[in-house]
Amino acid sequence: MRPLMAELSSSLNVFLATAAALVAIGVYGFIVGPEPLRRIVALNIISAGIFKLMVVLAYRGSGNGDAEWLADPVLHALVLTGLVVAVSATAFALALLARLGQSMTAGQEDPGQ
Amino acid sequence: MSLLLFDLLLCGLLLALALASVLSRQLSHAVILYIAFGLLMALTWARLAAPDLALAEAAIGAGLTGALCFTALARQGRLAVGPTLGWQQRCWPALFVLVTLCGLLLVLLQIPVNPGPLPALVKQQLAASGVSHPVTAVLLNFRSWDTLLELLVLLLALLGTLQVAPAPVRQSSWVLSRSWSQLLAPLIILLAGYLLWAGAHQPGGAFQAGALLAAGAVVLKLNQQLNWLVWTNGWVRFFTIAGLAVFVIAVLAAWLLSDAVAEPVWLSWPPEFAKYIILLIEIFATLAIAITLTLLVVAEQPGTPLSLARQEDNETADG
Amino acid sequence: MMILLLVLPLAGALLMLLWPRIAPLLALFSAAACSLIALQLLLQVSEQGTGYWLLAGWPSGLAIAWQADTLSCLLILLTAVLQLLVGFYAFAIRTRDKLSQGFWPLSSLLQLSLTALWLSRDLFNLYVCLELLALVAVALVSLSGRKAIKPALNYLLLSLFGSLCYLLGVVLLYGAYGRLDIAGLASEWQPNLLTNSALLLMSLGLMLKAALWPLHGWLPAAHAAAPAPVSALLSALVVKGPLFILCLLWLQLASSQQAQAMAPLFAGAGLAALLFGGWSALRTPFAKNLVAYSTVAQLGYATVALGLMLKFDQPLIFAALWLFVLAHALAKAACFLAIGEMSGTLGGKRLTTLKGASQTMPLAMFAFAVAGGSLIGLPPSGGFLAKWALLQGLWSQDQQLFWPLALVLATLLSAAYVFRVVVLAFDRADPVAPDFSPQVLPQWLALLPALAVWAMALFSEPLLLLLRLEAL
Repeated sequence: MRPLMAELSSSLNVFLATAAALVAIGVYGFIVGPEPLRRIVALNIISAGIFKLMVVLAYRGSGNGDAEWLADPVLHALVLTGLVVAVSATAFALALLARLGQSMTAGQEDPGQ
Repeated sequence: MSLLLFDLLLCGLLLALALASVLSRQLSHAVILYIAFGLLMALTWARLAAPDLALAEAAIGAGLTGALCFTALARQGRLAVGPTLGWQQRCWPALFVLVTLCGLLLVLLQIPVNPGPLPALVKQQLAASGVSHPVTAVLLNFRSWDTLLELLVLLLALLGTLQVAPAPVRQSSWVLSRSWSQLLAPLIILLAGYLLWAGAHQPGGAFQAGALLAAGAVVLKLNQQLNWLVWTNGWVRFFTIAGLAVFVIAVLAAWLLSDAVAEPVWLSWPPEFAKYIILLIEIFATLAIAITLTLLVVAEQPGTPLSLARQEDNETADG
Repeated sequence: MMILLLVLPLAGALLMLLWPRIAPLLALFSAAACSLIALQLLLQVSEQGTGYWLLAGWPSGLAIAWQADTLSCLLILLTAVLQLLVGFYAFAIRTRDKLSQGFWPLSSLLQLSLTALWLSRDLFNLYVCLELLALVAVALVSLSGRKAIKPALNYLLLSLFGSLCYLLGVVLLYGAYGRLDIAGLASEWQPNLLTNSALLLMSLGLMLKAALWPLHGWLPAAHAAAPAPVSALLSALVVKGPLFILCLLWLQLASSQQAQAMAPLFAGAGLAALLFGGWSALRTPFAKNLVAYSTVAQLGYATVALGLMLKFDQPLIFAALWLFVLAHALAKAACFLAIGEMSGTLGGKRLTTLKGASQTMPLAMFAFAVAGGSLIGLPPSGGFLAKWALLQGLWSQDQQLFWPLALVLATLLSAAYVFRVVVLAFDRADPVAPDFSPQVLPQWLALLPALAVWAMALFSEPLLLLLRLEAL
């Protein structure tokens, strides 16, 4: 039986639980909303939670007494990629949202629509 | 023990900020709390031995996303006021999420504590990759296909944003902030150059440098500087695309020049040139990322040929 | 040669951004060249067997893995050919419907992201491909302008949520096994709580993105709001990407216990999609919404086939699954182009504007009817082929009465909504007058894929053979 996360140092477990809680908070915000902008912020909180989980996983093995220990670079690279993807998607979503807000305001002013 | 206390405090604050951002009555509070949340995240990355991510998160996660959200907030119009939710509309999702959270925690505790085989493999192959910083090696050599696609995602977001860009909100800049921002500009360029160069052997690299440059450029742009930095400018278009184009050209050149003619492997750099190829790609990627991110944040150009707003205006004018 | 399939659309898209004037030419050229290369690749793979690459030549696990099997090659070919066809259509109507210049680079990038997705066998790379695909699709939907912004935003947000669910699953798997390539994961796979929940999370995200029932709510609005060529691409290709990954997960990774447990859920969701989608298509007053709901229903066939495949592990059912996808892609492209052409010319979004269309626009109506025949599953169309393969697979298992009956019911429903349009079009008493004289070329272009889906019958033997091999 391989050792599991449950037996890990309490410090890392705190981070692990925070990551899970962040995901949960984000999911709640995404479901409840109600404004679209808040949904977008909630999505970003979910991704922050997932990235945090990845970084905690990358930190595994630090306590083995290995002098040349290195945090898992693959996970760090994946998080970097994920960060850029997330910011791109957020920017596009916000642009769509701004356009929607503008057209709705225009629609409100114009009684013909 | 004191470290554990610090960790507990950090995590507690993170959770409090996230929760407050999701639950706050006003949307503007939510955005401000989210930005503070992003800054704390950067601190967390530094604590967890991920300085690359701390740099990127501070620039992208907190800085640019914050600026983006604020711009969106200003343009919200009627959408900013959502309906007030009743007790029941909040209760059931909360219950559902709590159950999910318990499940997720249970699952996370099943993850084995030993890292997988990849970190050792990276260490073993690092010498052949052309750079000595493992994260850069993964990004631009071991998994460069991901990075190429990621640059494409960034470009696509820009195309989409330009396409739907709403009419600009005219604002005048504050004299003091303008002069301060001019002082800031050379400093940021210097810092970005250092980050880019450092990426080969220590934390740093194209994304961090690009994001930093973008952050500086956004400040200047919001102060009505850098007026040439618009999509209609041919050079700007050229450099936005050059990040990907140089990547593709490097890939093709390495592919055509590789020795294994029978079954050439795509995306492999010849080991003796790997360092220079990676540096070249990083320089152009940095510029492309900086320009793209800047345009994403300050995307108010209904004059671009891609913009739909301009077309609709034309249609209304015709009719 | 194969990398040209990716480099050509990418380089094309970049050049289109620099010189927008020659964009249509570049797009058509790259799509045509890619179609030829994809055909050559398909022939090569079917002769020499599956190709497997580790990108950049790094050891397995470190490198991103690619695999070109016959299924991937077929899908690449389908993508390129449909891209070419839709490109021609967009070019043919360019003087009438001002599609924004943005269409051309976006459509090339769509081809690139789909090709990358069909090839990739690395879970994180697939995530990047999914995000790329979602952003392209949303950007394409928003080309319609003001009325499409809201569905586009909705689509984007749900799609991002789906991607994050998928990513969380990937991270769990990486935490468990420390690797991302599907082949490597499959060799170490063990059914336990960790892999169970990873599979469930990933499936949830992918089902949301593929608009499988009950997570299909965003699809009709988004697909109906997009311009006609875009709707054709979205319905025919984009929703199939996540479906493909779903199949990879459940057929290559999941253990047989896990597959058995999930099978009834997939089959049930598919059946519900068939009934619900069909019923909604019968009731909607708008022409494009009808076709979009029909996509929801037809995806149900694929889901049912996936569920039954997991249950019975029959190569024939696997072949049926992908035959459904191929036939649906061709038929739906024809439907959307035909409906788009008719609503554009007759000037109205409602179904009632199609009244008497068989007189005013006989070619487009014929295209719709022919494609509809395949959606219903009339012999010997592609849709019939798929259904027949599924039934044959079921008959080889004993005492299967429920599923054949359910399929018959679904067939009746799809026949009902197709005939709803056809009957209206043949009501020649008081036809709706066209706004301008109908163009002939776009109507022919709409007819082409409809004819192709019937021509699939000619290639039924080799197609079945190819796809059955892949299941093993």
